[in-house]
Amino acid sequence: MKRKIVSVVLAATMTMTMLAGCGSSASTGSSAAGSEAAGGAASEAAGSEAAATTADVTSEDEHTLSVYAWDKNFNIPALEAAAADYKANVDPDFNLNIIEQSQSSDVENAITLAASSGDYTTLPDIVLFQDHYFHKYVTDYPDAWQSAGDVDVNWDDFSQEKLSYSTVDGTHYGFPVDNGTVIFAYRTDLLEQAGYTIDDVTGISWDEFDEIGKKVYETTGKYLLSMDGDGNDLVYMMLQAEGASQFKDGAPYIADNETLKRVVETINKLVQDKVLYLANDWSDYTDQTIVNDMVAGVMNGNWIIPTIEQVADNSGKWEITSLPTLDGGKEGYASNGGSSLYITANCQKADLAKDFLAKTFGAGSTATYDAALQNGGVITTSTSAGKSEVYNEGVEYFNNQPIYAKIVEMGANVPVVEQSDFHYSCRSYIAAAIINITNGADVDSELKNAEDQLKFEMGVE
Amino acid sequence: MKKKGLTVTGKQRIAGWTFLTPASLLIFILSFYPMFQALMMSMKTGSSANMKWAPLLFNYKRMFADKLFMRSVGNTFLYLIIQVPIMLILAILLAQILNNKDIKFRGLFRTMVFLPCATSLVSYALIFKSLFATQGLMNSILMNLGIIKENINFLGTPGTAKAIIIIALLWRWTGYNMVFYLAGLQNIEYQVYEAAKIDGANGWQTFWKITVPLLKPTIIMTFIMSINGTLQLFDESVNLTSGGPANSTITMSHYIYNNSFGQGTANFGYASAMSFFVFILVAVLAFINLKVGDTRD
Repeated sequence: MKRKIVSVVLAATMTMTMLAGCGSSASTGSSAAGSEAAGGAASEAAGSEAAATTADVTSEDEHTLSVYAWDKNFNIPALEAAAADYKANVDPDFNLNIIEQSQSSDVENAITLAASSGDYTTLPDIVLFQDHYFHKYVTDYPDAWQSAGDVDVNWDDFSQEKLSYSTVDGTHYGFPVDNGTVIFAYRTDLLEQAGYTIDDVTGISWDEFDEIGKKVYETTGKYLLSMDGDGNDLVYMMLQAEGASQFKDGAPYIADNETLKRVVETINKLVQDKVLYLANDWSDYTDQTIVNDMVAGVMNGNWIIPTIEQVADNSGKWEITSLPTLDGGKEGYASNGGSSLYITANCQKADLAKDFLAKTFGAGSTATYDAALQNGGVITTSTSAGKSEVYNEGVEYFNNQPIYAKIVEMGANVPVVEQSDFHYSCRSYIAAAIINITNGADVDSELKNAEDQLKFEMGVE
Repeated sequence: MKKKGLTVTGKQRIAGWTFLTPASLLIFILSFYPMFQALMMSMKTGSSANMKWAPLLFNYKRMFADKLFMRSVGNTFLYLIIQVPIMLILAILLAQILNNKDIKFRGLFRTMVFLPCATSLVSYALIFKSLFATQGLMNSILMNLGIIKENINFLGTPGTAKAIIIIALLWRWTGYNMVFYLAGLQNIEYQVYEAAKIDGANGWQTFWKITVPLLKPTIIMTFIMSINGTLQLFDESVNLTSGGPANSTITMSHYIYNNSFGQGTANFGYASAMSFFVFILVAVLAFINLKVGDTRD
């Protein structure tokens, strides 16, 4: 009998602890209150890394906002700059709890998860979100966002191309942070060996580029350009420089798109002539082709600059310019990648969030953008902020060229082209087509194939 | 003495149910209920925040019209047909050799063959990736031996990329299966071999007439496990080639993953439908295997 009593008591204790465990975790999950106010402040002081471990993402403190961001060398310094700016000039009690994510897709998955379960309390007040994904996420999860339409911001100050990502059906949702303007960086010393200068590669056609590239490969053994063949951004950038898109009226425009066909044929020719090297994947592209010094030229969004700068030996040998175009005679401008800040449905302090974003990133605040550039290399799309002194300083790595001012200037010229929810799907189908074409497949049938696949995925006829 | 309410068997029954209930409940809630939910989800379509019932079997019909999914099925079966037989034959031969009592350092060799299994899937995939990179070790060796004239982009060419996935799988899983065979071989009495020797059977005959038939249960088990594992192949496709080049190495699980979490798609309905397709495939193949292997009349 004694044994029985003991076992009953044991079982009861176990059940109790289990229930208690559930209870306490549930309460912290839903209230997310007192502890976080202190926790938020502490983690802010300790830096962003510590904050990543806290499960509670929002705080009840009236002066604290939380934000998801993913790159501590790039966009997190920009957010820290904005927080310091707002604290110094508007609200001395302001606190920004930056919660670091390991990569941008973590933020996308967090939104998907919250929206799928219908429980937005897991989201922070603000998220940094990739531009090309935003339209799709508004279409799929309209309830996850709060619009920024009623905010007092001079939107004309920003590059219209940048804003086209964060504006859905005429409503502004996001605040631009960085700048995706495409640069074409050349190794001037290698160009010189082949008998060219940076001016010889500015405003040229892709055919002329091909000739120069062949010469460069002959004399120096380096490719003039490389790209990730798996996620091939070349097509998008080259098309945008022509003012064209892979989409027309919301439907894929691939097989009958003469410009696109010319672009793909050009890419194929560059590959065959050993001017362009298509890497197997992203890390192959950055580590093997750029850092491992395989190329004499890099063309991508300007966020590629830190990758180029990893090779300290080549300091002073690089210079940047605009893109070639299909017909030549003019300079090409494009934009690729980048992100903006968005207010989520879970933000209870929307007024504070809007005010913070509008008075820092939205106002083209020099204090924010100068520090963002100096600490993280984040370049603005705001024309007024781009006029500051910091932007006009020469950069030693790029032969003292004032590249930041040049990037802002080029960014203002980027044509607005039709965007789509299916940007990345389209990219991967065309990338697959290009790999097959460089292996000898027929251009027309491969493009038709890519279009069919994309239409199938989009569910359009 | 008062008569108690329950008989002895009754008590035992209650005890049995009491012990059974918690585990069963947990399995039901954590395993069967989600499975049922997934089945329901596979009938729906739309964004994951707002899923709607699709026309009957919409997602299932869709997947047979999906060229990319069919390609992933083809790739998976290619791996299955080439890799599983080679691996199992190698494993059984290795087991046979390492079961020989006269070999020195048997334990060392067994450990060495089994060791690949102890590496994590991601890290071994990354090691293979750097081995076979365009500027990697394999290319330098082949270049220095004069076998090739120019570095080969192994992982960037459809044919070689597939071959490398198969080689990687062989390296990773042969030792694992060998251990099962070794265990199976321990159960075969040595007298059987002695008797065969007296009857004048050579090594080849002993292997086919004694070892293989007596190992049959183990062989069937490893077959089912390998088929199951290969059909759900994911890590190698993701980490070694990321499905490329041009989707020529993508597997079913990888494609399912891409449809649910990759590239912002969150197409959960379609992804669960494809998962059920894999489930049915595994079930059917395992069933055939069991039937073929069944020697009872």
